[in-house]
Formats: sequence, C-alpha cells, structure tokens
Amino acid sequence: MHHRFDLDGEINELWLSRGPAGYHLQIADGWSGSVALIEERAGHGRLVVDGKSEQVAYVVDGDVVHIHCRGRAYAVRYVDPLLALASASDEAGHNVARAPMPGVVVSVKVTLGDTVAAGAVLMVIESMKLETPIRAPQDGVIERIHVRDGESFDRDAVLATLSQGNG
Amino acid sequence: MQRLRSLTDTRADDFRSNDGHNRRLAAELKERQRIARFVRPERDIERLGRQNKMFVRDRIEALLDPDTPFLELSTLAGNMAYDGEVPGAAQVIGIGIVSGKEVIIHADDASVKGGAWYPLSVKKIVRALDIAIENRLPVVHLCDSAGGFLPLQAQFFADRYYAGRIFRNQSVLSKMGVPQVAVVMGHCTAGGAYIPALSDYNVIVRGTGAIFLGGPPLVKAATGEEVSAEELGGADMHTSVSGTGDYPAASELHAIAIARDIVGRFAHPEKSKIDWVDPEPPAYDPDELYGIIPKDPRVQFDMREIIARVVDGSRFHEYQPRYGQSLVCGFARVFGYQVGILANNGVLFSDSALKGAHFIQLCDKNRTPLLFLQNITGFMVGREYERRGITKDGAKLIMAVAGASVPKFTVVCNGSYGAGTYGMAGRAFDPRFMFTWPQSQVSVMGAEQAAGVLTDIKLRQLARNGQELSEQEHAAIRDPILEDYRLQSSAYYATSEIWDDGILDPVDTRNALGIALSASLNAPIAPPHYGVFRM
Amino acid sequence: MADSSFPFDCVLIANRGEIAVRIIGTLRKLGLRSVVVYHEVDARAPAVALADQAIAISGRTPVAAYLDGEQIIAAARSAGAGALHPGYGFLSENAAFARSVEAAGIAFIGPSADAIELMGDKIRARNFVARNEFPVAPSAIEEEDPATFVERARAIGAPLLVKPSAGGGGKGMRIVRDLSGLDDAVAQARSEGQRYFGDGRLYIERFVEQPRHIEVQVLGDAFGNVVHLFERECSVQRRFQKIIEETPSPALSAQTRQKICETAAGIARAAGYRNAGTVEFIYGRGEFYFLEMNTRLQVEHPVTEMITGLDLVAEQIAVAAGRRLPFAQGDVRAHGHAIEARLYAEAPERNFSPTTGKVLALRYPQGEGVRVDSGIAQGQTITTAFDPMLAKIVVHATTRDEAIARARRAIEEFVLLGCETNAAFLARILGDQGFKAGEVHTGYLDENPGIARGGSRDTDAETRLLALAALLTRPVRDAADAVPPLHASLGSWRN
Repeated sequence: MHHRFDLDGEINELWLSRGPAGYHLQIADGWSGSVALIEERAGHGRLVVDGKSEQVAYVVDGDVVHIHCRGRAYAVRYVDPLLALASASDEAGHNVARAPMPGVVVSVKVTLGDTVAAGAVLMVIESMKLETPIRAPQDGVIERIHVRDGESFDRDAVLATLSQGNG
Repeated sequence: MQRLRSLTDTRADDFRSNDGHNRRLAAELKERQRIARFVRPERDIERLGRQNKMFVRDRIEALLDPDTPFLELSTLAGNMAYDGEVPGAAQVIGIGIVSGKEVIIHADDASVKGGAWYPLSVKKIVRALDIAIENRLPVVHLCDSAGGFLPLQAQFFADRYYAGRIFRNQSVLSKMGVPQVAVVMGHCTAGGAYIPALSDYNVIVRGTGAIFLGGPPLVKAATGEEVSAEELGGADMHTSVSGTGDYPAASELHAIAIARDIVGRFAHPEKSKIDWVDPEPPAYDPDELYGIIPKDPRVQFDMREIIARVVDGSRFHEYQPRYGQSLVCGFARVFGYQVGILANNGVLFSDSALKGAHFIQLCDKNRTPLLFLQNITGFMVGREYERRGITKDGAKLIMAVAGASVPKFTVVCNGSYGAGTYGMAGRAFDPRFMFTWPQSQVSVMGAEQAAGVLTDIKLRQLARNGQELSEQEHAAIRDPILEDYRLQSSAYYATSEIWDDGILDPVDTRNALGIALSASLNAPIAPPHYGVFRM
Repeated sequence: MADSSFPFDCVLIANRGEIAVRIIGTLRKLGLRSVVVYHEVDARAPAVALADQAIAISGRTPVAAYLDGEQIIAAARSAGAGALHPGYGFLSENAAFARSVEAAGIAFIGPSADAIELMGDKIRARNFVARNEFPVAPSAIEEEDPATFVERARAIGAPLLVKPSAGGGGKGMRIVRDLSGLDDAVAQARSEGQRYFGDGRLYIERFVEQPRHIEVQVLGDAFGNVVHLFERECSVQRRFQKIIEETPSPALSAQTRQKICETAAGIARAAGYRNAGTVEFIYGRGEFYFLEMNTRLQVEHPVTEMITGLDLVAEQIAVAAGRRLPFAQGDVRAHGHAIEARLYAEAPERNFSPTTGKVLALRYPQGEGVRVDSGIAQGQTITTAFDPMLAKIVVHATTRDEAIARARRAIEEFVLLGCETNAAFLARILGDQGFKAGEVHTGYLDENPGIARGGSRDTDAETRLLALAALLTRPVRDAADAVPPLHASLGSWRN
C-alpha cells in the first residue's frame, strides 16, 4: 500500500525505499529515482533529485510539509491511509457540510432535528464580503451544527453534520 | 576466498543448444505460472466483482510494502490434480515484507472454486504454517474460503496432518510467541472460523466478512432460525458484542491498511547471528546457467559451474578438494551470508559420503547454514563397495543431514533418486525450503530403470508360462510404465503434490535463496547434536 | 528635520499591520515615541512588539475596535500622545474623527476635517473640481434631480460607470455597456451602496474604455504651499482592488505627465489642502478625468518614496507639527523606476478565496533596490478578521525593465510558509507580455483570467515537492528504513 500525499487537491501515491546509496523514490505509475536532502541549517537545505541539486526552504507542521522551491510556496499534506480509508466510507454514510473557504457565519437557518432535503440552505456564511449559502449535500436530519452565528472558521471546516434521512 | 574459474565456453555448440532448451523450459514455467495465477473463467471474475471483492493478488499487492520482493511458494500446487481445475490449489502463499517485517502470507483464492479447500489446499496451508513454525515467521491470513470441498473430505479431514493440523499449528505458533493476524474478507465457516479465532489479531470487513461455526443455511436447517450472514457473524456483531473480532473495517483496503498497522506493532524479531558481510553479485552472469544445465538430464555437468553463478563474487572455498570428488563441498556466501554447500558431481561413494557427513558437522559447529544442490542418482552399488561399507557410510551421511541444527536449503538441479535424495537433504529431512528446477526429476529410481525392472518382472512371469514377447509387445508393456514414471517424477508433478516449495527459473535461485536465508534466521539455531554414527 | 523639536514627543498610531510598522520606523528615526493600539487578535503582530507602548482596544469585532474613535482618543490621552497618525483605511478619512482628535488637543496627522469632508463626498468633490475648471468625466448625479437621473445618464451614452456616491475602494461599482441593462445596474448598485456604506445614493459617469488608473501624490503645508511628488500608475487591478503599482507610468508622455501632475497640485491648492493626499484620475486615449481624491497616505506611497528619496511619513509629521514644506516644486526630482507588488493572503487559483494559516517560516528578499513593508511576523496567525494584505514588496531600479526583473527576483526570494499567498500570481503578472509592454489597463486582469488561474502543471516541480515531502515525513522515512537491506536491494522482484 503506497503512501498518499495531497498536492493541490490531488492524491499522489508514492513509496520511499532505502538502498546502500541512499533513498529512492517511486511515484506510483510514474517517475522513480534517487532523492536526498542535505540540511544546511534548520528549515533550509539542498534537495537532490536524480543528481540535480537545488535550494529549498521547508517547515513541517503536523501532517503538512510547507515548501519554498524555485520561488514559489507549496503545501503537501500526508494522508494517513487508515483515516482516508475509514472516512471515505464514513462520509458515504454521513451527510457533512464543509466550508468551501474561510469566513464567518452570518446566520444559521436550521435547528437540531430538522429534516431537510438535498440543497436546502443550512446557514449563510460571509467571506470576502460575499454572502454564500451553505446547502445540505443530501436529504437528511440535522444531527449537529458545529458553529454559531458570528463564529469564524477555516476552509474545509465541518459546519454541519446530518444523518441519513430515512435510514 | 578464491574466485571460481569457469571452464565453460559460452560459444560452444552444446552451450548454445542447452541455452535454447533451458530458456524454453523457463518460458514454459513462466507461462504455466501466469495461467495458474491469473487465468480464470470470466464468470468467476464477475462474481468477485458482484460480491465487491478484490482479486487475491490485488489484496496481496496492497498488503505488501511496495518495491519489495515476494517469494511465492508452490505456485503450481494442484496443477496435475482435480482435472487442472484448481490452479494453485486455490491458495496463494509466499514470503514478503509488510510494514518492514518478514512475514508469510496465506491467502485463499476466492476466484478458484470460491476458495474451497481441496486436499492439496489443506496441505499447502499446513506447509505454510510449518514454515512459519520452523522459521518463526509471523503470519498474515487473508481469509475468503467457501469451506472444505466435501466430496473429497476423506482426503483432507481426519488424518494427523490434514485440516486439524492447520489449527494445531496456529495454536503452536501462538504458544511460541509468533504473531498471526487474520483478515476476514469472506465467510469463515465451520473449521474456517478457527483461523481468525486462533489468530492473535483479526480484522473483519463489514458486509463481506463473517465468522460463524454454522452459516445461515445450516442454522435454518438445524433450528429453523432465519438470520442473515451479517447478523449471524458479521463485523459489527463480532467486534462489539462477542469479542471474536478485533477490528471492523469499512472495506477490503481499509482492512488491509489495519492489518499493515498491526504488523507494524509486532516486535522486531531477534535474528540469529551468522557470519555476514556486504553482498556482492556473482562474478559470472547467472544467465549462463541456461547454457550449462545439459539438455539431456543424463549428461553429467560440473556443479562448480552452477555455484559460480549463484554465490557472491563467485567465491568458493572448497573443502577436501581432492577427496571424495563426486561430492563438492565448500563455503561460499549468498547475499553476504556464509553458507556451506554440498553439491553432486556424480554418484555417492563411501569417501564422498564421509566427506559430506564431516563437512555437515563442520558447518553445524561453525553455525553455517547448509545448501544442498542435488543432482544425484544414488549411491554406488556393487560387491566391492558393500564390502567397504557404502551402506553404513551412507547412513552416516543421512544421520548428519537429519541431525544438523543449522538451517538447510535444498535445490533439486537435475535428478534426485533413491537414497541419494535422503543423503542430500530431501523433503523428509526438513530443509527449511526446498526448490526444484524445471527439468528436475524426483523418484525412487530413474524412469528407464524402473520401467526396465517392472518389465523384467512381467517378462519372467510370462516366461514361466512359456510365453515369449515380440518387440512390439515388449514396448507395449514398457512404454506406458515409462510414460507414467516420467510424468510422476517430473518437477511439475512433484510441485503439484507439494513435495517441494516451488519450481524456480534457475536464474531466480540466488534471489530465492537470499530471501529464504533471511527468513530462516528468525528462528534460533540449536546447538549441534547428533545421533550415533555407525562407524 | 533634526534641528528643532516638535510640539509633541509622542505619536499614537491608530492602525495596524504593515502601515503601523512603517510609521513606527519613521517615528524612531525622528526620535519620537510611538504608541500603537491593538485588538487582541493582533497581539502577536510586529507593530505591537516594535512600538514603545501598545494599548489594547476592544470591539464587537476586531475591525470595530479600530473604528472606535472614542476608545482610540482615550488611549492617546492616556499615553500622553500629542499627535495621532490614522494610517489608511479605518478612520483615516472620517472627518468627525479628525475633528474629535483635534478637539482633544491632539494633532491629527493628515488634512483638515473640512478637506476630508469635501473630498469624502464623491459628488461634492466632483462638483468642486469641475467648478475649478479641472477635467471631470461627464456624469449624472442623482441628488441633483432624482427623477431625471437615469434619463440624464442615458444621455451621456454608453459605456457608463454606476457608483455609490458614499463608496470607495471599488465597492458597488458597475459598468454598463448596453443601455438596456442600465435600470438593473442602478437597482443593484443602490442596494449594495445601502448595504456597504449605509447610503443608496448614486452617481453615473462616462466610463473610459480600457482606462488606466493614474494618481498623483500631493503634499501641502499649513501655509498654502502645495507640491506634487509625481504620479503613480495603479492599473493592475482586480475588481477595482489594486495589486501592482509603479512609477513613472509607462503610458504617459512627458507633457501628459506634467499636465496631470500640475492638475493634481492645482486641485489640492484650490482646496487649501494640507498634509499628504492623492488625486486619482482615469486616463484613456490621451484624455484624463478626475476620479476622486484620497485625503490620507496611500498604501502604494513607497514607490513615490523610492524615486524621490523622500520619507512621506516624516513629511506628514513635519506638516502636522506646523512646519513649512522644506522644498519647492522645482526641487523635487524623480530618479529611476519603482514597482510595488501587494502580497495577499488569498488564492487566485481558487477564485481569490481568502486563505488562512500560521506564518511558520518568513524570510524577506534582500539587496540593492529592494524594500519590504511587512505587517506579519514569524509565528503570527493569519485570519480573515482583517484585510488580507500581508506585505508590500517594493523595488527600485534605473529602468523599468530592470525594475521588473528586480521585482520578479524579490518575489521569488520572499519566503512565507504556512499560509497560501498570491505570490505566484504576482510573478505571472510581472512576466506577462502585456504588462512588460506597459499596456495594462484596469480591466486587463479581468479580461485575462488565465493569469490568475495559473499555468499548466509542472510535473518536474511536483516530483521535487513529493520527494521533499516524502523525505521529511516520519511515517514515510520510517517505512523505508524498516525494510531489511536484502529485500530493499531486490526491489519488487517476483519469482
């Protein structure tokens, strides 16, 4: 089972192995070659890929590796297979409304126990001075509302959880 | 250690014709394995899809660490049984790396007769667990079987080494502290239910996995109770009510991820320390093996040429090079591990038998594993030899082989006949792993010899009644016997019956031995200890 | 500047982020004590650490705190501040606030409240400018006669720009190219004007196609002296928000430049303007019209400082201290070319969605002709509580091409990890052919959405990113280290 990394919303599968000459990276159905990192001081070093070396800056924050490379910043997130495989089906059984971007809750329109149809407005959020409705992804019953009016949240935050409408 | 000097001329005619022949045999092996592994009736593949199940080999690939080797054992089990309808005996077993640990995997192949257990399936599973016990290898079971194939129950149920042995072996493994994890991906019914129950850890896939001593039809017939498989023995019930199951999984991949995580928790084994240095590849190209193995199995060849293409740097330290020359003995390294090699360059005589027995004891004292390269028709016979004690010298060799505490590995390179099989660590002498080459033969004596002996008996019978046979009638009696013998002594027959752990392409021998050696070192090596050598 | 002392020795900064840091820098240089007010969410911001004193303020929301004039004046009093710098945004153009500050005996570092009031009402300002015979775009002002408003607008002819008269910063504005859509545009602009500014009144003016936004920095003293400090071009905009500014403008001939700058100075003079301000024009096809005047220091003032060598904040403080301008128009010279790029916490590739995070690593570009005005510090949490601007990257060079190259390098060298920014977008704009040719107008980015979206995937870069991420992630490295060397050397061998 390969390791999974989320880069720009896309899952990349890869495997790192170790030989006498150092580490070797295999990207699933793709590139493979030798890789090495020579750290010069904390958070800065030279990344050597197939013999070609270049300067990089990096910070590891939990499961996310933030990288500055060739003048641009990136974030690559390690996806634990246990979490990914478990929740893939959890969310198939649950109805979850997530925030498409960071913002603030303007007003919640439903209460616990309400039965709603797919597409019903659960709450209105505000971001970038634009008000956006958050809708129920599927028919269901409001199981939990995770935010209050006036509360701020980050992108992808779970705003409301619904359970299956009719079992 | 000195490098062997090869005397092979790779441009000679017989090298070329051997090469062509052996490459064809290797291609045939590859093709037969491919068919046994992958070719299935369309409806069986469709059924798996409908049941939301993965093909067994996809499960194994997901289980293994990527970019690591998998040594599959007895791929062609059952290839000459059950009308060829049960490839691999509906089982896949092999040694691989899961979460960095060496494990042996035992997987039911539900694409073959629903994964039903035929007699050879049971034998294959028992063999896998025997390997686990002897080498202290953790086991991962991927369970998905329809249960025992009832029409043949007499051949797999009651006897000592039949199905019960699976559960006995599991219990012994647990007693030894060798962990097992079972992943339930289908119904584990009746006996099969004990595999997850006797495993230290188990994972059940919701919706497709179930454990019960009796399935819904049996329950209905026995008590009239109507209950679904999921309710009776599914993941949620067993993991939250009965405690028979440890981890529920949402899907097969999830279950495999959990199993990998469990194996990651196993303590690192303490490996036996034997002499080891950094590996180096053989100095001679292993591909040349194709040209060295004679096309005609009756033609003798020098085992040193084989050794030179299997061992590190082609370096070999020969022991007693001028004595007992029909048995080549010496030290070499395979993937850095020092091994003691015994290889046949002809029939066994008293001197070679004594040399072998002595060398085995040297290796045992030295904690050096033994590698037997077989090409043996037997011991020398005749008055002269009997008087010199060939029987008791052969006995000493067998005593040494049986008593050696270091791991033994056997490769049948060509012929393996009669007592020679015993003296060269055949199956009965518990080599940790035993492999054969495609052209190899194993039987009590050569086909021609056997056909000759049996035909003679028949002729004498007829002569007593005053009958004489024509050439054709002679052939009519001899030829079927010859045919039968040839078939039943072939490598494919032996591997079908699981008399060995698999046929290898000769060029794969080095890698297979490396993996086998590494696996064997998970068990401690007892001190040297022998029976009585008839002096 | 250094010879006589000011009538105050302590200045309160009623602002935050990079401008607060900027002002503190000049105060230090001038030997003045700095006090900054801050809301709790800004507790770890650099200005708070740099100021001599920091006073906490509170509000229903963080923004509300910085809009609470009373609280801020009370803070100034308690700190003994004799002057107050409002920065930009917040209360900087609030005439009532300016009056209260002065009434409290604190010098307001900015223009008079009257000037703020005049220029704050777009309609009054426009009328004032027109009356003084400076160029304005043909327009229809609703207030003059609401009944005929739309008709009068129609008479100007398309294309038209509909604006809330109380607005600013581009909010609520609408372009109407087809007169049949005029009524709808009016209704929508009115509703937005009400929502954002509390005032639904509108005015409509001729819209210049492919307009360029040219503004002129002006500076006046209390003695009636007014100079201009040349122009800035701010046409690189998105939805009327500025992204890149530069000076001199690549669009203007020497004569047009002189005309526009003198017009601006004239307007400021006519208004009796004191302290720093900016007169904004719309320029297109050789014509320019007065747009509005901003009675405060602008975000993009650094480019003017880079070409003139002046410290505008210092000049503001001097004027507020009652001094004469130390130079006449003829003394002011511009050298070379300057460009400023605004770094925002947003993702242009995802429709400019705001981004959040924590500043885990921060390193500014260094070197000749490079200046960074930043409002962030390592360890700070970036939230959506305020405007998303993080820093300004400003460069100066002899020629425009050199300045562009210097700006591109500076952006590449700017390291900020932990919060996504628009840096790649800035780089793409600077590399764009249209920008390099000096052909950008205010609608350019909206017409070329590909610049925001970004280029095709760079698989080579992706490979490197995955390689580095793999090497730095413990489970990945541990898994590699766990495989025994013998098996690792065999790779994915199968028999």
